[in-house]
Amino acid sequence: MATHALAPAPATASRGWLYEWLTTTDHKKIGIMYVINSFIFFLIGGVLALVVRAELARPGLQFLTDERVYNQMFTMHATLMIFLFVIPMLAGLGNYAVPLMIGAPDMAFPRINALSFWILPLGGILMISSFFTGGAAAAGWTSYPPLSAEGPLNSPGAGQDLWIVSLILIGTSSILGAINFLVTIFKMRAPGMTLFRMPIMVWTILVTSVLVLMATPVITSALVMLFIDRNYGGTFFDPSGGGSAILYQNIFWFYSHPAVYVMILPAMGVISEILPVFSRKPLFGYKAFVFATAAIGALGFSVWAHHMFTTGSVFLPFFSLLTFMIAVPTGVKMFNWVFTLFRGQLTFSTPLIFAIGFLTMFLIGGINGAFSASVPVDFALHDTYWIVAHIHYVLFGGSVFGIFAGLYYWFPKMTGRMLDEGLGKIQFVLMFVGFNLTFFPMHMLGIQGMPRRIADYAAEAGWNDWNMAATIGGFVIAASILPFIWNVFVSLRGGKVAGDDPWEANTLEWATSSPPPPYNFDQLPEIRSERPLFDARHGRAGH
Amino acid sequence: MSSTPRKRPAPDALVAGAVVAILIALVLAVFLSGWGASLYPPEAATSQGREIRGLYDIVFAVAIAIFVVVEGLIVWSVLRYRRRPGDNELPAQTHGNNVAEVIWTLVPTVIVLFLFVISWQTLNSVDAVSAQPDVRIRAIAGQFQWQFEYLDGNGTKVATQLAPEYNQDTGEGGMAVPVGRSVQVALDSPDVIHAFYVPRFLFKRDVVPGQTNRFEFTVDPKEAGQFFRGQCAELCGAGHGSMLFTVRALSPADYDTWLQALIAKSNATPAPLPSGTVLNVTAREIAFDTKALEVPADTPFAIAFQNQDPSGVTHDIDIRDANGNVLANQEPINGGTSTNYTYEGLPAGTYTFICAIHPIPAMTGTLTVK
Repeated sequence: MATHALAPAPATASRGWLYEWLTTTDHKKIGIMYVINSFIFFLIGGVLALVVRAELARPGLQFLTDERVYNQMFTMHATLMIFLFVIPMLAGLGNYAVPLMIGAPDMAFPRINALSFWILPLGGILMISSFFTGGAAAAGWTSYPPLSAEGPLNSPGAGQDLWIVSLILIGTSSILGAINFLVTIFKMRAPGMTLFRMPIMVWTILVTSVLVLMATPVITSALVMLFIDRNYGGTFFDPSGGGSAILYQNIFWFYSHPAVYVMILPAMGVISEILPVFSRKPLFGYKAFVFATAAIGALGFSVWAHHMFTTGSVFLPFFSLLTFMIAVPTGVKMFNWVFTLFRGQLTFSTPLIFAIGFLTMFLIGGINGAFSASVPVDFALHDTYWIVAHIHYVLFGGSVFGIFAGLYYWFPKMTGRMLDEGLGKIQFVLMFVGFNLTFFPMHMLGIQGMPRRIADYAAEAGWNDWNMAATIGGFVIAASILPFIWNVFVSLRGGKVAGDDPWEANTLEWATSSPPPPYNFDQLPEIRSERPLFDARHGRAGH
Repeated sequence: MSSTPRKRPAPDALVAGAVVAILIALVLAVFLSGWGASLYPPEAATSQGREIRGLYDIVFAVAIAIFVVVEGLIVWSVLRYRRRPGDNELPAQTHGNNVAEVIWTLVPTVIVLFLFVISWQTLNSVDAVSAQPDVRIRAIAGQFQWQFEYLDGNGTKVATQLAPEYNQDTGEGGMAVPVGRSVQVALDSPDVIHAFYVPRFLFKRDVVPGQTNRFEFTVDPKEAGQFFRGQCAELCGAGHGSMLFTVRALSPADYDTWLQALIAKSNATPAPLPSGTVLNVTAREIAFDTKALEVPADTPFAIAFQNQDPSGVTHDIDIRDANGNVLANQEPINGGTSTNYTYEGLPAGTYTFICAIHPIPAMTGTLTVK
C-alpha cells in the first residue's frame, strides 16, 4: 500500500479567498483558473463568430459596411478560439487532472505552473486591446505575409504587432506548461503507476506536450521574423528584398498543423476516460490506443504542407501520402472507442452524451478532411467553406464536445457538486442541432464555390439558403451556452453533493475527496492496472 | 475473465437494428431525392475539371461507405447496449483483441493507399503544363483587381484586358478563352498572395509575389458562349470579397475576333485632352497626390491621370455623391500608364473622388464644385 503522508502546511493567518486564488500554486486551483479564463475567451470569440454569421446571413453588407472590420472579426474569432480557448482549456483540464490521475501531490514546478497560467490573461488582454488601437489584426489567424506586413492596403497600425506579441507570450506559456507536464508525468508518478498503467488522458497530455515543446519555438521564430519585417525593415518574407512569402507558410504550418493535434489529442484523452466509465468496460485496445496517439503525434510533423497544396511550392505526393496515412491511427482510435461501447452497459449521463457527440461529429471531421489529402480534390476545396466545415467538425465537433464532456465529468470533482443532468441534456441537444445546422451547410457552400473570408457574396450565386441556415444554427449554438452557464450557477449553490466518486470511475482522481485537499491524497489505493479504482471496487475478479 | 455473454431481450437488438436501417435509408433518400447533389461539385467545364470530378466521386463514395459503417456501429452500440435496471453484473471485461487491431489498421491502410495512388495519377494529369499551349495568358492579381495579358507564342504581350468582369450592358470585359484549345495561365502578383479560383473548373492556384505559378486547362467545346464566375480565394485585404472576374468561353472563331478587337483597343492612343478645365492627378504607392480638387459648376472637365505604381496595380478616379452613389465610373488603368478621364458637368456641391479599386482614405479626396 503506497501512502503519501505529507505534513500539513504550517498554519498562517487566514487570508481572503481572492488573495488565496491569486497567489495559489495548487495545480487544482490553477487548473480551474485556466478553465474559467479560457471560457471567458470562448464567450468573446463566440460573439465575434455571431457578428460574422449575422453579416453573412444575407447577401450585401448589412452590419459591417467596412470590410476591414469584417476581416478583424474572423481573424480575432479564430485567434481567440484557438490560442485562448481550446489550447488553454485543454491544458487547464490537464493541469487539473494529470497530477491527480498519476497520484502526485502537485505539478513538478508549481510556481512555473502559476506563471504559465498568468501569462494567458495578460496575452489575452493585449490581444483584445488591439481593438482599441485603431483596429485589431485583420489578416486572418494565419496572418500570411505580405498581407500581414506593413502597408496601407496590408496591415497598418499596431493591431498586427499586438497580435504577434500576444501570441509569443501565449506560446511561452504553452512551452512552460509542456515542460511542467513532461517532468510531472515522468518523475511524479505514484508507486505502481507504470507508463502503461497511466490513464489515456495522461498519455495524450504527454504526447501533446512533446508536440508543443517541439513546435511552439518554431512558430515563435516566424512571429519574431514577421515583427522584424514589420517594424525594422526586415525582408524575411518580402520577395522584393530577397525573402520568400512561402517561407512563412512553411514555418507557420510546421507549428500550426501539430497545433491541431494539440487541440484534439487531449479531447480524445477525455473521451477515452469517459467511455469506459459509462459503459462499465475497460478501454478496448489500451496499448493500440497509446501507439496510435504516438503515431498521430509523429505523423503530425510531416503533413504541414497539406495546407499549402495550391501554392505551387510544395512536393505534393509526399505530403498527400502522409496526410492520407494519418487517417490510419485516427481510424484505430475510432474503432477502439466504438468497441469500448460495444457490449457495454451504457449509462447516458451528460459526460457520455457529449462523448458520443464527439464520436459522431469527429467522424465527419475525419472523413471530410481526407478529401483534402487528395491533392486534385483539394484544388477544388482549398480556401472554400468546405475547409471551414472541416475545421469546425474537428475543433468544435471534436474538441469542444470533448471539452464539455470533460467539464461535466470533472465538475463534481472540482467543486464537490453535481451539474444538473436535465440542463446538461438541454445544452447537448441545442448544441448538437445548432452545430450541425451551422457547419453541415458549409460543405455545400464550399463545394459550390464560396470562398472563405469574404464579407459579401452575390445574391445570384446560389448561396443564400445555406448561409441563412448556418446563421440560424450559429445563434442556436449561442443559445446552448446559456443553460450551461445557468447550470454552473445553480449547481454551485444547490447542486447534489457529489461525494468522492459519483460516476463509479476508474482513475485515481476519484480516490480522494471532492474537491480534493491540498496535495491531493492522504492515501492511495494499490495500482495494478490502468483502472486502480475499478480493481479496488471489484477486485481482481474484474479482469 | 468473466466473459459470459449477456442475455438481452430481443427487442433491444431489433430497435437498434431498425434505427440503423432507417438512418441508412435516410442517407440513401437524401441522395436519390437530389438533395445529395448539393454535396457534389458543379459540373466541370474543363477536361482537367472533369478528371477532378471523377476523382471526387470515388473519394466521396468511399467516404459515404466509411461514414455509414462507423456511424451505424456507433448508433447501434448506443441503442443496443444501454444499461437496464437489474444490470448489476459487470459486462464482459474485454481488454482488446489483437486480430481486430490488425484488421482495422490494415484495411484503412489499403483504402488510403488506393486513394493516394488514384489521386497521384489524377494530379499528374491535371497539373501538367505543356511547352507549346494554344493560348497564353498572364493573369496579374493586384489588390484588388485582376488583369489579363494575352501573350503570343514567344511570350510577348499583345493585348491587356483591364476589365476583369463581364459587363452585360456593354458586352465587354472578362477573360475570354477559346473552347477546345489548351490555355496556359501564368500567375503573377505585384503585392500580396491571391488565388485564381473558378468553381466550375474545380480548380484554384495561388498567385504568389516573387514566383510565377502556371497551370493549364482546356474548356469543353459544348461550353462555348458560357460565362464562368471566378474570384480571389486567398484573403488579400479589405477588397478581397470584391476581387471578382469572369471567364468567357468563346468558339475559336469568336475568340479570334474578340482578341483582335482587344489588340486594337490596347494600341489605341488615349483621347486628346479636351479644352476647358483640366486637373492633374497622380497615383503613387496606393495614394493620390492630392486630397482636394475644385472645378466650376455645370461645366465638363477632365483629369490627366498618371498611375505611377508598378504594373499590375490598377487605379481609376470615380466620382461619388455624398450618399455614395457613383456619378462617374471610369475604366481603371494599369501601373506605369496614364490616361485622360473626361467628366460631365456637375451641379454645385461637394463630391468624393475615389479609386474604386482601393477605396481607402489615401485614395479618397474631396471634389468641390462651385
